[in-house]
Amino acid sequence: MENEERTALNTFWHNLRAVPVDLYRAMFRGGAPVTDRTRSSFVFGNVFLHLHSVRTHLWSLRWTATMGLGIITTAAFLITLVTGVLLMFYYKPYPDVAYQSIKDIHFIVPTGRFIRNIHRWAANVMVVAVILHMARAFYTASYRKPREFNWLIGWGLLVTTLALSFTGYLLPWDQLAYWAITIGANIAQSPREITDAMGITDLMDIGGLQREILLGSDIVGEESLIRFYLLHVMILPIVMAMLMAVHFWRIRKDGGLAKPADVNERVSVSQPEHYPVFTEEPKKTYQLAAVVKGRTPAVGSGPENTVPSMPHLFYAELGILMFTTLVCVALALVSDAPLKELANPLVPENPAKAPWYFLGLQEIVSFSAFMGGIGIPMLCWIGLGLIPFLDKETEGTGEWFGGPGGARLTLWSMVYGFATSIAVEAFAIRFGWLREWFPDVPQLVITFLNPGTVITALYAAFSIWALRRFNSTRAGALALFTCFLCGFIVLTVIGTYFRGPNWVFFWSPADWNAH
Amino acid sequence: MKKNKYLLMVSSIGVFALLVIAAVSENFLKDWHAIQGQARAEDGPIEVRLRQVVNNDLRRTDRCVTCHVGMAPGEQITSQLKVAQPHKPVVHDPAVMGCTTCHGGQGQATEMDDAHGNVHFWTEPMLPAKYAYASCGTCHTPLNVPNLASLTSARQAFERLDCYACHRLDGRGGTIRPGGNLTGMDGPDLSHIGLKGYDAEWYVSHLGKNREGASEAWKASFREISDADLRLLKLLLDTQMGAPKLIEARAQFNSVGCTGCHAVSGFGGQNGPELSRVGEKDPNQLNFRNVPGERSLTNWIAQHFRSPASTVPGSLMPALDLNEQEIDLLTMYMLSLRRRGLPDVFLPKDRVKAMRFGAREFLTEPATVYSTICSSCHGASGKGARFPGNPPNPSITNPDFLAIASDDYLYATIARGRTSRPMLAWGEGERGLGDAEIRGLVAYIRQLGGGVQFVSDGRPARWVSGDAPTGERLYKANCAGCHGAIGGGGEGPAIGNASFLTAATDTFLVETISRGRTGTIMQGFATPNTVRPALTRAEIESIVAFIRTLEKK
Repeated sequence: MENEERTALNTFWHNLRAVPVDLYRAMFRGGAPVTDRTRSSFVFGNVFLHLHSVRTHLWSLRWTATMGLGIITTAAFLITLVTGVLLMFYYKPYPDVAYQSIKDIHFIVPTGRFIRNIHRWAANVMVVAVILHMARAFYTASYRKPREFNWLIGWGLLVTTLALSFTGYLLPWDQLAYWAITIGANIAQSPREITDAMGITDLMDIGGLQREILLGSDIVGEESLIRFYLLHVMILPIVMAMLMAVHFWRIRKDGGLAKPADVNERVSVSQPEHYPVFTEEPKKTYQLAAVVKGRTPAVGSGPENTVPSMPHLFYAELGILMFTTLVCVALALVSDAPLKELANPLVPENPAKAPWYFLGLQEIVSFSAFMGGIGIPMLCWIGLGLIPFLDKETEGTGEWFGGPGGARLTLWSMVYGFATSIAVEAFAIRFGWLREWFPDVPQLVITFLNPGTVITALYAAFSIWALRRFNSTRAGALALFTCFLCGFIVLTVIGTYFRGPNWVFFWSPADWNAH
Repeated sequence: MKKNKYLLMVSSIGVFALLVIAAVSENFLKDWHAIQGQARAEDGPIEVRLRQVVNNDLRRTDRCVTCHVGMAPGEQITSQLKVAQPHKPVVHDPAVMGCTTCHGGQGQATEMDDAHGNVHFWTEPMLPAKYAYASCGTCHTPLNVPNLASLTSARQAFERLDCYACHRLDGRGGTIRPGGNLTGMDGPDLSHIGLKGYDAEWYVSHLGKNREGASEAWKASFREISDADLRLLKLLLDTQMGAPKLIEARAQFNSVGCTGCHAVSGFGGQNGPELSRVGEKDPNQLNFRNVPGERSLTNWIAQHFRSPASTVPGSLMPALDLNEQEIDLLTMYMLSLRRRGLPDVFLPKDRVKAMRFGAREFLTEPATVYSTICSSCHGASGKGARFPGNPPNPSITNPDFLAIASDDYLYATIARGRTSRPMLAWGEGERGLGDAEIRGLVAYIRQLGGGVQFVSDGRPARWVSGDAPTGERLYKANCAGCHGAIGGGGEGPAIGNASFLTAATDTFLVETISRGRTGTIMQGFATPNTVRPALTRAEIESIVAFIRTLEKK
């Protein structure tokens, strides 16, 4: 069209035809991510992706490095977020009405049951994944300097995850929900055991106060429902999102995932599909980098075995996201989320059980409310938070079961952890405890001497033995962490499958003759 | 890095496949697709789509017609598909009123178990087919229902007088003959005549046509009817609302005196829980510990009638010794006690009459009033009854009692009741018994007692002038054991309350103490027995003087 005049109309027409191409260019400002340079700008030019570093170490991309557990947790969170928002279209947070709206979602709303099932399964996947992710971070000693702070963020994320799941548990307002939350709230009230024993409950009722703050009233009622709903759909997700952002950002700022010091010798150098950067040891670093505190990436590093995050890391992340979705969707098709009869404050469930991840607590609460509900959990809690500050060794960072003792100690701790908790539980179930033998024993004695505290003490003893045997805090931590993980599993399994009406031991739920 | 790509590919394909499976099963593989696929109309297969009956006023959206497609508006299914058959003819067109309005269940669900409410913990499952008439109670209320004995004799009279020859009643009778009326029958269908209303003078006109021999049928089929039979016919016609089974159920309710303790629609005693909405109880909120069989409301109610105290721990309701047939009828009536917030336009005439104009749901004829209200406590024949855990209920047909109790005394007792006793003030309150009803009851009680009449001694209501302190001593020695230290009652009735003492004359009190009550442990104190001497007339009068002082306490 050489002869055509450049009229405004022509220009308009020309621009209109160029829209698709211009749109593409506007979105991929740096050009298509085909060269390492454009791949880099693709990552750091994107608000979401720039939480990643531009290049990722091959060590971190191996499946065994992390098992993808962190991404699985994130993926499960995203799935609950999407399905949760969909559920909010139909959910009405008011007692009884809430139950009817869940019935509507379950029986009437097209795909409502499916969406609710996905939401429920993703929530459970998230709880499991977050615990395993913590175990991974611990066993690979990834909490060590400079990652102490990120361990603490993860510590907060674990609580937030449990809180999200727990608050969601009440929303269907059925018997299951109502009594699980009642039990949960009673666990919050457990300091009362101590204040009762000391006779100062009237002066200082910490337990009652905690319970009231949680429920907003004396019983699980409409106040509690609104409270839990608000926490579940707004406050906790926001907290979660913020903590997650910090958590991811810290990974990048702390130099990616934890790696052994000699990582570059361990990874096979050349891969045909990419080329390495920094092939030579750099002679100097740039002063600008010194303005920022922390390590500058290039100093002291030899040839790096990194690949561009785009697309290698993103394939892995997307792959895990889709894999998690697959698992949740498949479970949702196979198994329906439970919905029992409408909550009835007058007819307690027997047994009334807390959500499964609190059943280990409920099991030790059955021995002593204070120790099970506050004492031992707080001990574990504070212990977990202190790990990076107590273990300042360097041996084994970034390696599975790294550090003195290693896999062998972990294995023995596992055997010991399972054996001890099962033995103490079996003893208590078979022969009873102090109260059965000496009915008049003061409650304070039971508070400090019960199966829960005995297991804890045995674990602590083993840990001290390991610490001295290997002359290493890491070894003590390995032993203690493994033991507690095993104890958690044993108690949770007993609480879930072997406790029936009145919290009596049963070999199988089929023997609960109450129904 | 290849394996990450494969993970992404395989997972994505997997998710996609599962979503396709979910979408296909949600959209194409539901049972109703197969049902509609098999159904045929006159002009071939019908369109397979979700069908529903929407009634905004009743707030119904019923998708039942998606499977029961023959009942969907405008569908004429010709194939012999059981589920797709049209509804049997009823007054309320299901295509307008919806399905769950009457049948219960879950209107918006599209799978059988969900829709019928056969799922765990569903709050309002469908009414069982044999209790389907109970659903009428959602909107309607039966009016003027007699007790079962009267209803049965009325039905027998209708049959005996051969009214079925020309009239149809609840699907029976009404011979179709050439030359009949619009429906082909000689007489109109009387199934809903109680709701529609009818000419009160029908008998006169019938008789006239018979006399003038209008047609062969009039001459042959109609004869004179006695007054007693006419009363029975009126009684039957007044109750006709197209739900014979429900009327029978209410008649059963009117035969065992439930109303004495339980209120329905604002009338009845307060000793037991109100029953107006008992048919909507959520079965999941009930205690089934001592109820064998399925966890359904029907089953729970039936078991509750068999053994109230074991079904509801702490219940004071006595076991009324009912047979299974009676229990079945009562269960049906209980199920019919359900309400729905209806817009005024949908309120049927009978409900309006009951709600706004105080029409009685039971017939206000003494025998029915007695069996509806009094019979559970005082017994069907008035001989009194006692139930564990409850104060004994006195006999009211004792000849000794009826001879000294004036009609005014009986009237006052019924109308004002007894303070702090199960006997309520039946003449008080907005819906209380009226003057004529109470008078009828008084006469009926005398009739039950063999016609014993009151004989007045001509004295005024208060004439005793005895020495109260002496009376108090004697009262404590002789009376307090049964009647309580200050007349609060115990084994014997309470006598120390204003309501009783206002109604009772001095003659009534003196004579009761002197003569006692035959057949009860109240003995005549004017005659000696093995453990105590006779009381003199003056002593009895002093006791009465003391009892009078209790009125003020």
